[in-house]
Amino acid sequence: MIRNAFSRALVAGRAGFLQLAPQSASVAGCRHMSKVAESDEQLTARYVQYFESKDIDHWWLSKHINDLAGTDAVPEPDIIKACLHACRRLNDIAMAVRFMEIVHFKCGNRVKEIYPYVLQEVGPTLKELGIPTPEELGMDKPQLALEDVYDM
Amino acid sequence: MEMHIVSMATVTGTLLRRCSRLSAAAAPLSTSARALGGGGLPTVVERHGNRMVIGYGFNGEPNYIDRVDYPIPAVRFKEDNAQIKVLREKERGDWKKLTKEEVQELYRATFCRSFAEMQAPTGEWKLVLGGTMLACSIAVWIYLFMKVFVYEKLPDTITNPEKVEAQVQRMIDLRMNPVQGIASEWDYEKGQWKN
Repeated sequence: MIRNAFSRALVAGRAGFLQLAPQSASVAGCRHMSKVAESDEQLTARYVQYFESKDIDHWWLSKHINDLAGTDAVPEPDIIKACLHACRRLNDIAMAVRFMEIVHFKCGNRVKEIYPYVLQEVGPTLKELGIPTPEELGMDKPQLALEDVYDM
Repeated sequence: MEMHIVSMATVTGTLLRRCSRLSAAAAPLSTSARALGGGGLPTVVERHGNRMVIGYGFNGEPNYIDRVDYPIPAVRFKEDNAQIKVLREKERGDWKKLTKEEVQELYRATFCRSFAEMQAPTGEWKLVLGGTMLACSIAVWIYLFMKVFVYEKLPDTITNPEKVEAQVQRMIDLRMNPVQGIASEWDYEKGQWKN
């Protein structure tokens, strides 16, 4: 059997997953139609566990961030902190900045109320890890323009 | 400054063979089924070239797409060149030592557009509104043309006031539409219009 990167990632992912809380079947819980909906605290605890696992890799980081982006919620500061530490372990500052942009986006039309609170809670972690916020980088305004494919 | 999304159609026969033979720790992650086979000649072009696969992507293919609802695509945006490699080494150390420009460089290596750029207004509404009004004005011009050049004159049963009066008198005499119509407006006792 040719041992290649894909099967390694699958094994690592499964091993990392088994260490977590005993969930059955799917990872994101999107097929649990017959089960009781989990509470916000459970969701927070679950994602904090995901991001805190020591052997997280890019695949799982992407997956969990994309799942969070798909939930109808702003991630809790605990989740954000755990995710930023996970990005640090993976030496990927681009993901950290992108994640802060995602949090800003998830605030929706109440961004003026929620985002300052998030920055206040998560600010110490950002300083500690040395991650600039998108505003500090000037990325809260468009910087580059991309030509539309229909105009080419 | 403009950027183009270009598909990286580099034939990577050596890449496919490398995927199968390198030790697991060094080989890049690949969700593509083509990379799983390994050995033998490559039959399909790996469209994502040397770009590092970082996730599953929104459909399982190693593509890059900017989506606000699926923000982390399957591959990084740019291939690693020498400049980026230097920055990546620096990234392994303390992030406080990275300058803002370097962070932006690293961000643009992984992502094409930021959220602000994805959501920036395109001004397309002006095109749509202008096009709609143009179409409406053409329609009005066509109607005016028809009125002037195509339609015949109105008959004198409509234009001649005496003939119209005679027709109305007939309607009143016949009690036409007596409930809500024209005969209901006529006061038969006084012989005049109700007001």
